[in-house]
Amino acid sequence: MDMKTLTEGRRMGRQLLFVGALTAMAACGSEPVQRPIPGVAFCQEVLPAVEAYVAQARQANPVPDDPRYGGTAVLGSIGELADGMNAAVSSDYSATQHQQFVNLMTLIDYDENLEPRPYLAERVEIAEDNTSVTFHLRQDVFWHDGEQTTADDVAFTYEVVTNPLTAFPNAAYWDRYVQGSEGVEIIDDFTVRIHMEPHAEFLDPFRSLGILPEHLLGDVPPQELKQHPFGTQCPVGNGPFVFYSHSAQDRWVFEANPAFPEALGGRPFLDRYIYRVIPEQTTLLTELLTQNIDVYSGVAPDQAQRILDDANTELVDFPSRQYVFVGWNARRLQLADPRVRRAIAMGTDRERIVEAILQGYGTVAHSSVPPFHWAFDEGRIETIEYDPEEAAALLEEAGWTDRDGDGVRENAEGVSLSISVKYNQGNQQRQDVAEIMQSQLADIGVEVQPQVVEWATLLQDINTPELRNFDGVVMGWVVEFKLDDMDLFHSDRIDQPFAWSGTENPAIDRLLVELGTAVDRNMARELWAEYQNVLIEEQPYLFFYFPSRLIGVSSRLENVTMDQRGVWLSARDWYIDPASR
Amino acid sequence: MTQYVLRRLLGAIPLVLGIATIIFFLVNLAPGDPTLLLLSPGVTDEVIQQMRENFGLDQPVHIRYVKWIGAMLTGDFGYSFTHSRPVADVLMDFLPNTLILSASALLVAFLFGIVLGTIQAVRQYSAMDSSLSVVLLFFYSMPSFWLALMLILTMSLYARNVWGLPIYFPASGMMSTDYEFLSAGGKLVDRVKHLVLPTLSLALVLMAGIARYMRGSMLEVVRQDFVRTAHAKGLPERTVVFKHALRNALLPIITLVGLYIPFLFSGTVFIETIFAWPGMGRLIVEAIFQRDYPVVMAGAFFFATMVVVANLVADLLYAVVDPRIRYE
Repeated sequence: MDMKTLTEGRRMGRQLLFVGALTAMAACGSEPVQRPIPGVAFCQEVLPAVEAYVAQARQANPVPDDPRYGGTAVLGSIGELADGMNAAVSSDYSATQHQQFVNLMTLIDYDENLEPRPYLAERVEIAEDNTSVTFHLRQDVFWHDGEQTTADDVAFTYEVVTNPLTAFPNAAYWDRYVQGSEGVEIIDDFTVRIHMEPHAEFLDPFRSLGILPEHLLGDVPPQELKQHPFGTQCPVGNGPFVFYSHSAQDRWVFEANPAFPEALGGRPFLDRYIYRVIPEQTTLLTELLTQNIDVYSGVAPDQAQRILDDANTELVDFPSRQYVFVGWNARRLQLADPRVRRAIAMGTDRERIVEAILQGYGTVAHSSVPPFHWAFDEGRIETIEYDPEEAAALLEEAGWTDRDGDGVRENAEGVSLSISVKYNQGNQQRQDVAEIMQSQLADIGVEVQPQVVEWATLLQDINTPELRNFDGVVMGWVVEFKLDDMDLFHSDRIDQPFAWSGTENPAIDRLLVELGTAVDRNMARELWAEYQNVLIEEQPYLFFYFPSRLIGVSSRLENVTMDQRGVWLSARDWYIDPASR
Repeated sequence: MTQYVLRRLLGAIPLVLGIATIIFFLVNLAPGDPTLLLLSPGVTDEVIQQMRENFGLDQPVHIRYVKWIGAMLTGDFGYSFTHSRPVADVLMDFLPNTLILSASALLVAFLFGIVLGTIQAVRQYSAMDSSLSVVLLFFYSMPSFWLALMLILTMSLYARNVWGLPIYFPASGMMSTDYEFLSAGGKLVDRVKHLVLPTLSLALVLMAGIARYMRGSMLEVVRQDFVRTAHAKGLPERTVVFKHALRNALLPIITLVGLYIPFLFSGTVFIETIFAWPGMGRLIVEAIFQRDYPVVMAGAFFFATMVVVANLVADLLYAVVDPRIRYE
């Protein structure tokens, strides 16, 4: 399904990887250039083949006579591309983006209205009764070692990601698909059919799943895929950019694919695209302003003004697919009553918090549905607004009164309304959320104790069903376009890791099930509105905000389009202003 | 002497094994689990169980310990969870980067530290001595990460964008993105340029300390009889300072080198993070955050061994430079 923990805000990137020992001489342009080839048998076999194919493709497809072609663009970001191009095991945002838009190809992608459009599949046929999808593949797509991309690759990828041994991180994508080899049927070399039962937004997984080469990975046992050198040492894709080299925690280098299909835009304008890992945001900002990098992905809100002020840089901001919230543990006596949770929401001035923490680069969240989503309809949800008096009244009603005059409310048994709110170390925004809540809620007699915990320990505290060692936790989720809150709020999953709130609400249960099977969006819209209202009433989370994603872009880089589909969306169309090269 | 070295080396074996054991249990019993980090909604229990099996985490701790110690003794440090490569390969990639940076930092720190300390001692109580003291104290009391940010601000951002200086330094990385296309000379210049800021950030702080040591040590030596004798027999100042005094004053400094050897390998996390330098410090810290047990254990084990070895080397150096010390 469709979420992963929001880790990008953390200082330390999720993962690091690596590259090479041996080096080999390779020709690039006219100068002999050293290209590192990792000392792994697989890479030593595969990379020379890529080299040969690219050289031959360059001959066959001379660079068009257009000044926009050429040059190198460098993008800097704080974290590694965890698991690299290995689409079967990775869940990192930036890594998945590179699979979709840079090195690999997906069967479909989305247009600016977030409607599916053909990509690797030139035609998609959906069975009348919504029980199967048939993909007709393009016949002009080749892997970067020269093999053609065929139905075998699609079938292989599907089988791998639905095989439990692979441990594909988003296994819930395939909940209502027929899994394994029974689910996929090869009609001919370029036609493949996948079987399912009808369900909501069933095409969405194929937007993010990069297709992998069967001829290279077909023999790898699924449980060994994660350790396979394909991911980070020598990926072979079929997308607009060819992998060139990677050195762990340092950089990924990609080259233009000269043979990328003309119908999909042909060879990218850039000769090279480089991803650099720079773990410190101040350094990233400096590198952007001194034009050592062209794109700074993940600008902190307090750096935005600096980028706007500089004549040579521009700021791009768009809604990210994340939301930040405080997850409640309703198993706790203090938080068991939904009225208390609603009162806390009323006693928290979220508008002001968003203004203060995000400098306005974000919007207040009332539910898990992001404002850009088709299911979002502001007019139809009953939001909770800031109202400390009403909050105090609600707490009184729920039996929480300040009986001993110490400023904190107690219930009839004398238990005080004091809750700890945990957040992960090194995340300033989440710390700010906890601390501002502390001061605002003190006004209505609720004591909040912010508590900082190291990331892995925090996950253990909140995810272990037997433990649930928290009252409240500041967290974030990244959502896919296909929304699915089953794991978070359905009472069937109450013993699963993500049932943080532990709330049980029959209306939520019913709606989640209906939403999962609603194929028709018009019908689904009704259900979404109803669902959001129940969710706001129940308050398993105090939803805080949808932050904007901020990107600093050098003005010498042209044709940059970024939106909720991603930062790398238009990477194949980026070009360097010829005048400034 | 040989016997002494052998005895020390043999004594180091249980020490290092003990350290390895402590590291293993500390790391493995810390809260958090690598598979928990990969957990997200939609991941079924079977997937997590499968991951744990793939990582070998499904076995009890004592079994894992025996396996790990056994494999380690044969030089096999296992497979990194996050790098998806053998741990030894990962360490070998990061180690040279750290060596380059810390070696250049130590070189600069010792060279300038010794020179400045000597100047101060020879010109004790002069204006030069006091002003150097102020400057050195300034650097000595400065946290190196803050110094690093200031250096980036001035020597990279302001030098280029505000003052328009012809020379400014890159704020991150080990080499430019077009490094491969440079000539041999260009490559060298490029490398050096990237080294300047991180080296200064580390070296200035160290240098200040070394200079203080050197000044003290030199002052002690210049008061001794043999120096007075050298003066008395009419030797020129230069010869007295460099040939007689300096050599003896360097003795305690040499043991400082021994103390700094572990630093040479471990790198420094802050500086590596700020300058995006892919070194050992960052490697290990990221591995800790990711609960990448094999990397953490191998890294910690490696550093522990380095400390033991460095101590031994420092002890031996004593004997080499000071004939009065003998090991039996």
